[in-house]
Amino acid sequence: MAIDRKKIINELSGLQVRGDDQGLIPAYGVLVQRIPVSFWNGFSKAILDAAGDDVGDAAEGLLENAAAECGYHTGHGIITSEEFQAVVSPMVEKEPEDILHGAYGVLTAWGWANAEITELIPDEKMVIRACDYYEHDMGPTKRPFAFMIRGVSRAFMDLAYGDPYPNGFGRFKCEQTRGIEVGDEYGEFVVTRA
Amino acid sequence: MPDVASTKRYASHNSTVKFKVREEFDKNRMRHYVNGEVSVMHCHHYATLFTQLALDASLLNGTDHLIRTSFEAFHAPLIRYYEVENVKNIADRLAIAEQYFSFVGLGAIRFACNDRSAVVVMEYSHVDEGWLSRWGRRDSRVNYIGEGYIKAACAAAFDLTNPDDIKVVEAESIVCGAPRSRFDVQW
Repeated sequence: MAIDRKKIINELSGLQVRGDDQGLIPAYGVLVQRIPVSFWNGFSKAILDAAGDDVGDAAEGLLENAAAECGYHTGHGIITSEEFQAVVSPMVEKEPEDILHGAYGVLTAWGWANAEITELIPDEKMVIRACDYYEHDMGPTKRPFAFMIRGVSRAFMDLAYGDPYPNGFGRFKCEQTRGIEVGDEYGEFVVTRA
Repeated sequence: MPDVASTKRYASHNSTVKFKVREEFDKNRMRHYVNGEVSVMHCHHYATLFTQLALDASLLNGTDHLIRTSFEAFHAPLIRYYEVENVKNIADRLAIAEQYFSFVGLGAIRFACNDRSAVVVMEYSHVDEGWLSRWGRRDSRVNYIGEGYIKAACAAAFDLTNPDDIKVVEAESIVCGAPRSRFDVQW
């Protein structure tokens, strides 16, 4: 595996991203924004607190699905972007596994999480370890809170092993097995077939 | 928006102040900071699906939570910016709020205010245009994140503390087919 994670982070964490003269950021095939993480965390906590035990599972599922769709569409935009082609693609020896490793370098450079793949069985299973991620800022919580990483991780597996974009969404699921927000040393996410 | 702004006491066209950006990337934690605020890039799918979730959760007052969370997320950085940069003039504060909104990719917004009211126009809106791109036009508004931002900006500009004292009515919406969104605000 020739992916140089440090080089990816160094080169892509410094990209200048800001609104154009319309105040919009069209990039990676989507419109992006870069707002405080307290918004994403705050709404997730507020809606889960309001849901309580009765509909909490359903609310968690919707939060995770929002991230999965984000990860699927934006992830496709990332791996087909000029930046990815310039920085990551020259390192790719084995597809799609090296692309997946590279995508976690990009995810880290974007500030979503300091996360990388620790186990990958092609088309079957992927384990992610995240030693930091903004969602754990809401901790301590009773239950794992990293819906964004869960959703994005299964979406990345869909992009790697599902039908060609945009028809491959939903083949995988993700379980968060450890979380800093629940007292673990790091977050762990296990993606398997749905 | 000169036709509306000219009738108001405070508007950004009376200001020449420029939004100063300090961007940092913490290579230990892999976090991005914009003027000291941990910030992250996400797409319109994420923003519109959070909005859809809030709309679906009407029994849980979902959109109220979205508005308040947006208020809290933007009020604090605006207040901190005004303190750090010593921005006391209301027109200057409104100009900064407009530029911050655009900088983070939420669109183009203009405030025109009197002491207890405002007309706010969005020529472009990340949330509305993201919704249009994803689902198309609809007959009711979706920009609750924008409403929270407007409350935050008005509160920060006029030193108001309670977002519940600020009433916002989205009178026209891009997502409903209007050429621009318009919000009527009173406090």
